[in-house]
Amino acid sequence: MNTYIWLVRREFWENRAIWIIPLAIGAFMVLCALFGRADLMVVSSQALGRTVGQAFLGAVGATFFAIMSIYAAWYLLDCLYADRKDRSVLFWKSLPISDATTVLSKLATAVIVIPLVYFAAADLTTLLMAFIISVRASSIVGGALWQGGLWLQIQELWLYLIVTTAIWYLPVTAYLLLISSWAKRAVTLWSILPPLALILGERWFFGTHVIAHQLNVRLFGFVDAAFNANLASWVSANVADNDAIRTPADIWSFLDFAGFFSSMATWAGAAVGVALIIGSIQLRMRRTEI
Amino acid sequence: MPALIEALDLTKKYGKHVALDRASFSVQGGRIVGLIGPNGAGKTSALRAILGLTAYEGQLRVLGREPFRDRTALMQDASFIADVAVLPGWLRIEDAVDFVAGVHPRFRRDRAAALLAKTEIAGRRRMRELSKGMKTQVHLALTMGIDAKLLVLDEPTLGLDILARRAFYDALVNDYMDETRTILITTHQVEEVENLLTDVLFIDKGRIVLDSSLDDISVRYTAIAVGPDQIDAARAQKPFYERRVLGKTVLYYEQPDMAKLAGLGEVHTPSVSDLFVAKLSGVAA
Repeated sequence: MNTYIWLVRREFWENRAIWIIPLAIGAFMVLCALFGRADLMVVSSQALGRTVGQAFLGAVGATFFAIMSIYAAWYLLDCLYADRKDRSVLFWKSLPISDATTVLSKLATAVIVIPLVYFAAADLTTLLMAFIISVRASSIVGGALWQGGLWLQIQELWLYLIVTTAIWYLPVTAYLLLISSWAKRAVTLWSILPPLALILGERWFFGTHVIAHQLNVRLFGFVDAAFNANLASWVSANVADNDAIRTPADIWSFLDFAGFFSSMATWAGAAVGVALIIGSIQLRMRRTEI
Repeated sequence: MPALIEALDLTKKYGKHVALDRASFSVQGGRIVGLIGPNGAGKTSALRAILGLTAYEGQLRVLGREPFRDRTALMQDASFIADVAVLPGWLRIEDAVDFVAGVHPRFRRDRAAALLAKTEIAGRRRMRELSKGMKTQVHLALTMGIDAKLLVLDEPTLGLDILARRAFYDALVNDYMDETRTILITTHQVEEVENLLTDVLFIDKGRIVLDSSLDDISVRYTAIAVGPDQIDAARAQKPFYERRVLGKTVLYYEQPDMAKLAGLGEVHTPSVSDLFVAKLSGVAA
């Protein structure tokens, strides 16, 4: 356990972007709250306040989450490749740390540590922004965050997303690790080529789209897998009928907890992910240089 | 006491290329062994196998372990510097010390700190801000801070100037080496290390061509420098190599009849580098 803590610290030393990017996004948003048009957030009624508060928390959270996803993918592609490229792998391998421990520490950084950093940054940003806007525009947005446990629900949503995306996207995460452990150059290109070749090959030789479909489900089917029909009906109701936005009473009602964790797709994907992680470790044991 | 490194028919292939071809050798504790060979002879492959960085065929035990399967445990007792330029540029010196202290149970922080204090390099600096010589000092301090039974050095002074190279070897012999340690070293600069070696392993085309202590070399090998008039008498004693130097001919013998060589010319023990050249280019006369 002690070794893992040192390895994660090491990742922070090497990849300062882990905290610099969320800090920069947060700072930019806080500056907007300080000098932007706070009057846009002035709301008249309690009910509307809750809607605006929800939209505000959702927008800030989604921004952090989207940027985090892109950064995490980049991190995964780079993490096992970078120290082979600068040859420092020979230094790391001169220490009594197994290759499995190294690979797992990078995986944990990508799926646990980085999301938690962004989660904390998003929380800090929303609280600061809500406070600033409330003071500047005498808005009730700040107060609205505490109505009906709205803020607490967002915390739950974040944690639910961190856990479920980690499991659902494990095959993708592990595939990126494998490429990072294997490629001699151009990791980004190599991460795209094999699936593309498989899709095209399947189409030309068999005329089928099984791989393309599976990839599509994995990459874009997360919301369907982790959230239930309540979300879809709420979205369609609110998009269709724009002037009567009804806020959901409880975000919990959208989460398909039981469905996600009992789904075959969830665990089949996780199994593929585990196999790819084992492959990454085996490659890490054998590849010491570019 | 069993050998520290025991290799039997060690073989490493890269596709069709055979880097190590059934090499067998052993290294005893408390020695400083030079693994010497021309480019592409298999030196680095042998070291990689010994350090568990690569899979191999044949039998290999290092400190009683199988290196590839047991690299993590092996690295508790062995350490290595594979070229000095491998510390990552983003790493701060003080972080490097903290990290190694955190993950290595046999790292003695006080010793590393004392070595670093001598270099007068500020701890906040990152590796990429340091010159090659400074990086070597830092890497050496980290490595010498580890209480290892076996230290492996692969071309440790590549790209360093003569002052830094000398400082490196002085520190190695004076501050690090003692009877509990063993050092295995490869280098192209044979002249630079031959005074500190106790044993040599010559390797050529993936095979071990000589495995000997320097004491045995002085008993076993003889060179003689003769003038043109004595050359035929000297050749009659079956040298395995000869070369011309400043009008004289130097002939190399393995276990010659010393009585017959006496009086033909100037008899001496060949240096490691001369013996290396003789062994590798020599055709049995």
